Amino acid sequence: MSFRSFKSTIDEGDTVILYLTIHQIYSVKAEVKTLSKKGVLIDNVFQTQYGALKCGDLIGQKYGTKIQLSKGWGYVLQPTPELWTLTLPHRTQIIYTPDISMIILQLELAPGSIVIESGTGSGSLSHAFIRSVKPHGHLHTFDFHEQRVQTVEEEFKDHGLIEWVTVKKRDVCSEGFGSELEHRADAVFLDLPHPWLAVPHSKLALKETGGRICSFSPCIEQVQKTCLILLKLGFHEIQTIEIIQTQYSIQTRSIGVLNLDFVKVKKCEDSQEKQEKEILRTVTAVPPTTQPGHTGFLTFATLPPIWARTLAQENNDLCTDCV
Amino acid sequence: MEENTIKVGNYVIIQRQNYTKLQKMKENCTVTLGKDVIDIDAVLGHRYDETFRMVLKSGTKRTYMLEEVSQLTLTNNTQVEESGIDNRDIIDDGKSQTLSKSEIENLRDRALSSGDIVQKLVENSRTFNSKTEYSQEKYLKKKEKKYFEYIQVRKPSIRLLAQMFYRQDPNKTLGIRLDDLSQLLTYANVHSDGHYLLYDSGTSGLVAASILNSIGHDTRGHLVHMHPGNECQKSALQAMHFPDEQQRRCINVNLYSVLRCYHQNDIPELTTETDTAKRKQTEEDTQQRKKPTWQYENERACRILREQVDGLIIVAKEHPVNVTKELIAFLKGDRCVVVFSLVREPLQDLYFHLKERTDFVSINLSSNFMRSYQVLPERTHPEVSMNFGGYILTAYKLIKLTC
Repeated sequence: MSFRSFKSTIDEGDTVILYLTIHQIYSVKAEVKTLSKKGVLIDNVFQTQYGALKCGDLIGQKYGTKIQLSKGWGYVLQPTPELWTLTLPHRTQIIYTPDISMIILQLELAPGSIVIESGTGSGSLSHAFIRSVKPHGHLHTFDFHEQRVQTVEEEFKDHGLIEWVTVKKRDVCSEGFGSELEHRADAVFLDLPHPWLAVPHSKLALKETGGRICSFSPCIEQVQKTCLILLKLGFHEIQTIEIIQTQYSIQTRSIGVLNLDFVKVKKCEDSQEKQEKEILRTVTAVPPTTQPGHTGFLTFATLPPIWARTLAQENNDLCTDCV
Repeated sequence: MEENTIKVGNYVIIQRQNYTKLQKMKENCTVTLGKDVIDIDAVLGHRYDETFRMVLKSGTKRTYMLEEVSQLTLTNNTQVEESGIDNRDIIDDGKSQTLSKSEIENLRDRALSSGDIVQKLVENSRTFNSKTEYSQEKYLKKKEKKYFEYIQVRKPSIRLLAQMFYRQDPNKTLGIRLDDLSQLLTYANVHSDGHYLLYDSGTSGLVAASILNSIGHDTRGHLVHMHPGNECQKSALQAMHFPDEQQRRCINVNLYSVLRCYHQNDIPELTTETDTAKRKQTEEDTQQRKKPTWQYENERACRILREQVDGLIIVAKEHPVNVTKELIAFLKGDRCVVVFSLVREPLQDLYFHLKERTDFVSINLSSNFMRSYQVLPERTHPEVSMNFGGYILTAYKLIKLTC
């Protein structure tokens, strides 16, 4: 239940973030026993480079403290959507925090918003959506993969978030979002192989007072098709962007300095002493040698309120005419 | 529908194509867009996102009134008869437009619609028909933009405000770009449930408004907003028009004054019992009424600081080390500090400071590459101009166990 609200002590069943180093962050469950792959109840032990952690021992500890491992130590943190994104079990490609942040701001979400997501995938973005809209908003999330739907629903229950989310198995491209969601949503998010097929359904699901839509696609061809249909259906402010985050390693570098003055004077026979090498120390931020250079294109658009739609549509028709 | 009606006292965003401007609605209100002065009285009582046409006031030059529009008479009625294959025959001799500058000005002064003006420009262009199809479209778009006579009135949102401030002048918000702002909010885990502390030395209230927006209405979250001046910058806070209940949970205090209050004064506890004698209650009320508002706000802020906060955000003009050093004392363990700076070096200093303290983990310094795309059939490419955001440092605070 450790996602529900801020808390200070680890309770049994909490998901806990185990921080070892900047590149070694894991999530574990504070439980004495766990089910093995064969379905047998065994001790819940998590192996790390710094020794084993009996996860049951975490119960009663404070979040934000140091914990002993058999060959070192680690730190336990309460999960946030950001830490969960770094540690969650991947069942699909996931969306990362730089994109998630932009999606939430651009979809104009706030507590109380109703937001639709498809597909759910591994639930990385869903956790951030729920945080943004609770306590009086709701997330309706859809995926066409039966098992993913079940697993993610279990996760939401386990994380104490189920009251703010409804998970359904559905192929929204062919079936839409359902009549109960017509004109209910403030925002729609699409992460689908064929997002353009879901745009008409999205328009139907958005409130009559208007709303925002976002489509996340890795390929530019998907973006092109999506933008055309958005234009055709009277969306405006259509904008496509991409964001790449670079994380730096801060280092103090020692750099040798070449002194070439001595070459201009004759070598002195008697001065045997060697000149000491000069070293300059400089602080620098080093980007990684390789990093992701592309995640996906984010396409955003606004559906105007119903009283402004005919004009927006007219304007777009003029644009598409010359296209 | 009520909240969608434009009323006196509302802050609205006036939009003319991509140009936006924040404006407070008053009676007999005019707004200046470029060289045009527009009387926007007519929008009062209308709903947001409606479109209005600028109509030239008779006897004036470039002073307009607004009238409601139900149908667009836009430019692209211009019929393109023929197009060239490429630009090999187009020579830039400055003679392709046969209308003189004053003749064109005259068209505008005769209150012709943008469509009519563009039509005239095309008719009098020697080279238009030999331009390529794409080039013709670009020409029409460009001219249409120049003579565009429609405006819309938008309801302010964090997205619109952030984009508007950045486009007008990034310095208005200490250079904070939309992606920077979005990440401050997520990394600091800002949501309805927490108390947050912000030090902001000049983002036109944008960061405070964004946090308050994420805290939401009818929730228990609070924001202590520290600023270095007598008054905090609050254009964005006013523009968002939050309900009173929500606005009251943003406590604006002067950095020096609130810290002095915290370190040197006894802060009276708030009495929460409702059943104590009413007399006592009113006595306290009058006592509090005697205090100036800033002092009352300082005390409210101090009560939250004493309980510690769930997130600390620093967006400072000043070097961040000292202010962060002071304010992280108010951050609970297991929570995140997020510091924004347009330049990297001060954050490197802060990185070493936090590293030395040993009660911070996961110290990260990052920046973003962001660019927009033009998406059109056969003409998709990154936008020609791009810009650079700032740097963000994040770190989790640990609890030091005293044993």
